[in-house]
Amino acid sequence: MSCVGCCKAIKPRYKRLVDDIFPVNPQDGLVKNNMDKLTFYALSSPEKLDRIGEYLASKLSRDVARKRYTLVKIAMDALDQLLVSCHDYSLNLFVESFLKMVQKLLECDELELQVLATASFVKFANIEEDTPSYHRRYDFFVSKFSVMCHGGTNNDKQRSRIRLSGVKGLQGVVRKTVSDELQVNIWDPIHMDKIVPSLLYNMHDPGFVPVDIESTKDDEHPAQVAETVLRDLICRASYGNLKPVLRPILVHMDNHKLWTPPTFVVKCFKIVMYSVQQQYAYVVIQALMSHLDTHQKSAPDIKAAIVDVLFEAVIIAAGASVGPSVLDVFNTLVKHLRISLDNKSSDETIRAQEKKFEESLINTIGQFANNLPDYQKIEIMMFVMAKFPQFTAEESYGLQMDVQLQTMLLKTLLKVATKYKTVNMANAFPQEFLQPLLRMSLFEEPGMRIIVQEILHTLIDRHENSEKLRHVQVIRDVAKMGIKLEKVSRPDSLFMKKHGSQFYWYLCENMRLESNKVDNFEALYRTMALITVETGSRDIVSDLIRLALDMQNISMNDLSLPLTHKCAIHALVGALLCLVAQICELPELLQYTLEILECRKTEAPHMLPEFAFNRKNRPNSASELHVTILTDFNHKLYPEVETLRDSWVFQQEAISSILMSAEVDVSRLSTSFIQKPLGVSEVDGNRSMSDVNSIVMDFESPEASPMQGRRRETEEITVESLKKMLAEDPKVRREEEERKRLEIVNTFRNDPFEEIVARAEAKSNHFHNKLNEILSMVSRGSDSPAMLRGASKQPPTILDIQFPDLYVY
Amino acid sequence: MEDYKYLFKVVLIGEAGVGKTCLVRRFTQGLFPPGQAATIGVDFMIKTVEIDGDKVKLQIWDTAGQEKFRSITQSYYRAAHGLVLVYDVCSQNTFDALPQWMVDIESFANQKVMSYLVGNKTDRGDAREVPTHIGKQFADRYEMKFLETSAKEADNVDKLFIDMATILTEEIRSRRLVPDSQSADISKDTKSISSCAQCFKL
Repeated sequence: MSCVGCCKAIKPRYKRLVDDIFPVNPQDGLVKNNMDKLTFYALSSPEKLDRIGEYLASKLSRDVARKRYTLVKIAMDALDQLLVSCHDYSLNLFVESFLKMVQKLLECDELELQVLATASFVKFANIEEDTPSYHRRYDFFVSKFSVMCHGGTNNDKQRSRIRLSGVKGLQGVVRKTVSDELQVNIWDPIHMDKIVPSLLYNMHDPGFVPVDIESTKDDEHPAQVAETVLRDLICRASYGNLKPVLRPILVHMDNHKLWTPPTFVVKCFKIVMYSVQQQYAYVVIQALMSHLDTHQKSAPDIKAAIVDVLFEAVIIAAGASVGPSVLDVFNTLVKHLRISLDNKSSDETIRAQEKKFEESLINTIGQFANNLPDYQKIEIMMFVMAKFPQFTAEESYGLQMDVQLQTMLLKTLLKVATKYKTVNMANAFPQEFLQPLLRMSLFEEPGMRIIVQEILHTLIDRHENSEKLRHVQVIRDVAKMGIKLEKVSRPDSLFMKKHGSQFYWYLCENMRLESNKVDNFEALYRTMALITVETGSRDIVSDLIRLALDMQNISMNDLSLPLTHKCAIHALVGALLCLVAQICELPELLQYTLEILECRKTEAPHMLPEFAFNRKNRPNSASELHVTILTDFNHKLYPEVETLRDSWVFQQEAISSILMSAEVDVSRLSTSFIQKPLGVSEVDGNRSMSDVNSIVMDFESPEASPMQGRRRETEEITVESLKKMLAEDPKVRREEEERKRLEIVNTFRNDPFEEIVARAEAKSNHFHNKLNEILSMVSRGSDSPAMLRGASKQPPTILDIQFPDLYVY
Repeated sequence: MEDYKYLFKVVLIGEAGVGKTCLVRRFTQGLFPPGQAATIGVDFMIKTVEIDGDKVKLQIWDTAGQEKFRSITQSYYRAAHGLVLVYDVCSQNTFDALPQWMVDIESFANQKVMSYLVGNKTDRGDAREVPTHIGKQFADRYEMKFLETSAKEADNVDKLFIDMATILTEEIRSRRLVPDSQSADISKDTKSISSCAQCFKL
C-alpha cells in the first residue's frame, strides 16, 4: 500500500513532518520543535490527521518488527500528543490507527512495550469523544488486558507491573465503553467473564497486605487498583447489567474455593454492596440467594459462608435489601434451614458445621426481618409458623415432627419477634397469629415451650421489663425494681378483654404439664407478669386474679402433678397476685396477699418462691436443678405428708370481697378459664334441632374466638338453663364440672389411641351431619346475610382448631 | 500497510500439564522451556505464517488447564476460530477427561469452530498409555482432526499450526466460514481507510 517510494523530495508534506520528529540518534528522544510543527499542521488541516496516523502506524510496526524499541517509544509519544491536542471530529479516523498501534504493541512479547501501550490506551480512554464510533471493537483489548492481569512472570516486580497495566487497561476499556450505549456492550457476559475474574484474581493477591492505607504507594498495587475498578464497574451497572457482573464473581469464588474462610468473599461483597446503586441492592441479594440454591448439596461450611455473606450484605443494604419478593426470600431461607436439618449426617464435624450454618441462617432471617416494616414482620412470623409440620398434617401433631426442625423454626420466630417493636397489642397479635402461636405453647418438648414463651415475652414487653421479671419473687415494691410502667391505653385493655382469655387458658394448660422444668415455670411467670405490667388495669384485674386462682386450683386438684410442681405453682401464684395488686393499685389485695405469704413463711415455706424456685445450688442446668429441688424438698424442707391448710392458699371469697370493696367488677371472677375449651367435648347429641337458631346466634358473635363461642355453647342460653344455674349451688356445679373434666382428661390419658381417634371421628361425623343440616336450613329458611356469613365461616374454624387441642392430652 | 491478510484466533485447551504452553512456545519461539510453570489464567502469543502466498496471523490463546481458571478460560472459547484440544499420550487420565472437554466446547465455543485433537509428548514412547489408534478413533467420532506431537522434539508442532492455518484459510476462501464481525476479514482492500476500519473488526 505504501508504494510512494523512498525519495524524500516527492513525499507529501505530512510524511515529511512525521519523519522529522524522529531524531537521527534514537537516544535523543522526540524532536520537540518538529513535534510542535506536526501538531500545528494537524490542527490546521485536520483532514490530514488520519493520514498522519496511518503513516505513523506503519512506521511503528516496522520499528517493532526490527526491535527498535526506542523509536517505538518516540512514535507512541507522538501519537499520544496528537491525540491529546486534537479534540476534534476528525479524531475518529485517527483513533483507528492509534488503536491498531496499541494492539500491535500489545501483541509483541516485550513487556515494556505492553506497559507502554497500556499507558497510551488509558490516556486515550480518558479523552471524551464527541462523535460516537459504531464499528470500534474492544474484544482484543479486553482479552489481552485480562491476560495481562494474570501475568505470571517469575520476576516479582515485572509481574506486578504487567498486572497493574492489565488492570488499568481494563479500567480504560470500561470507562471508554460504559457510558456510551452506541459503543460495544461491555456488559455482555463474554466480556464480563474475562474482566471480573481478572480483577478478583488481582484483588485476592495473598502477597498484598494493605498495611498502610494512607501511603500513596499502595495505590499502585494491582490489588488496590483492581478494587477501584471493581467499584467503578459495579456503581455504573444498571439493573440489567448487574447480573453479568455478579455471576462471574460467584463462579470465581466457587472455582478458587474462596468461600472458606469467607474473609475475601465478605470483603468483595462489601465492596459490591457499598458500590451498587441503592435501588438495585436487592439484585445482589437475590443473586446470593440463588447461588445458595445451587449449593444445596455442597458442604455446610460453604453454605454457611454464603449465608454469612448474605448477612453482611443485608446489613449494608438495609431498607432496600428484600426487594419485591419478601416471602420468596424467607421461603428460600427457611427451605435451606429445612434441608440442612433433614441432612442428618452422622459425622460430628459436619453436624457441627450444619449447626453453624443453621445459626447463621437464623441470624440472616432476623436481619432480613429487621429491615421490614412492622406489619410485615408479623406476616413473616405467620409464614414461618405455617412451616410447622402439624399445621399441614394434623395427625402428626407432636409425634413424628422433627423436634430439631421445630426448635429451629421457633428460634427463627424468636429472632424475628425480637426485631418487632410492639406498639399496640392488637397489632402485635392479630387473631390469625395469636391462635397458632398459643397453640404452639403446648408443645411436648419443654425447651420449645420456653422459646414460645420467650416469643410472647418479646412481643408483649414494650418497656424492657422482661429482664427484671426474670425470677419468680415476691415484689413488695414495684417501683424499686425499676419496672417501667405506662398508662394502659384503651385499645390494649380492650384487646386483653377480648383475647385475654386465650392467653389465660393456654397459660393454665401450660401449668398442668408434667414435663415443666423450673425454667418453664419462670417463663410462664414472666409472661403473666409482663401481661400484668403492660396491660394490667382495673378493667382486667378480675381476669388476672381469676387466672391466679385457676392455677392455684390446678395445683390443689390435679393429683397427678409432682410435689415440686405444685409448690412452684403456689409460689408463682403468690408472686403474681402480689404484682397484680400493685400494678392495679389494690392495696387491700396486696395486704391480703402478703398476709397469706407471711403465713406460709412460718408454716409452709415450701410454697414460697424463695424455696420453690431455689436455683442457688446449680444455676446452670435446668434438669440438674430439677433434681436438686426434688432432693431438697424431700429431705429437708418438704413435709412428709402432703397437707394444705386454708390459711396457706388464697381464698376466692376473700379476694372477691376485697375487689368488691374496691369497686371492681367481680362478675368474671367466678367463671373459671379452665373449662372453656374442654366444653367442646360435652357438646354431644342432646341438643335438638330446634336449637338451630340459637346456634346461629352463637355464630353471629362476630370475632368470637373459638373458645368464647364454646363457652356460650356449654352454658346453653335457654331460660331453663338459666333457671337451673340460679338454683344450683355454684360449688356443686363446679365440682361436677371438675369431675367431668378429669374424666375427659383420664380418657385421653389412658385410653388407647385408636379409640380416641374413633371417638373423635364419630364426633366429627356427627358434627358434619349437623353442619349439613344447619347449612340446608339456612339456605332454605333464612335470607339474613349475617347468618349466611356466620354459618359458612365459623364451622371450618372450629374443625381446624378444635381437633388438635383434643390431641394434646 | 497491512502486514497480514487473515487473522485467526486459536485457543489451546486441555487438562493441566499436558504441554499446551510448551506447544505454543515451540511454535512461536522455537524453544522448549524446561520446567515450565503452570499457566495462570490465559497466556497470549502471536505468530504470522505464510499460506499459499498470503500472510496469515495466528493469535494463540494458551489457557490454563487448572480447574480453578475454568470459567475465565471458557470465556475465550467463543471468539475462537480454531480450538486445539491437547492430551498427554502418557497419561490415560488426561485422555479420559476429553469427553468433558467436548461438552465444554459444545456449550461455549462457536459451532463452526474448527477443532484439532492433539496427543502430546510422543517423545516419551516408553511411558505411552494411550495408543495412537485410540486417539484417532476419538477424533473421528467427534469429527476432529488428529495429530500426535512432541513439543520437546519439535515433532509435528509446526505441522499442527500450519495445518490449522491452511484449513482455516481455505475455509475462508471458499466462504464457508461466514465472515461475521467476529471472524476474520475478507480483504476488500480497495481503500486504505476501509481496510483500516476492517482491522478493528478483528
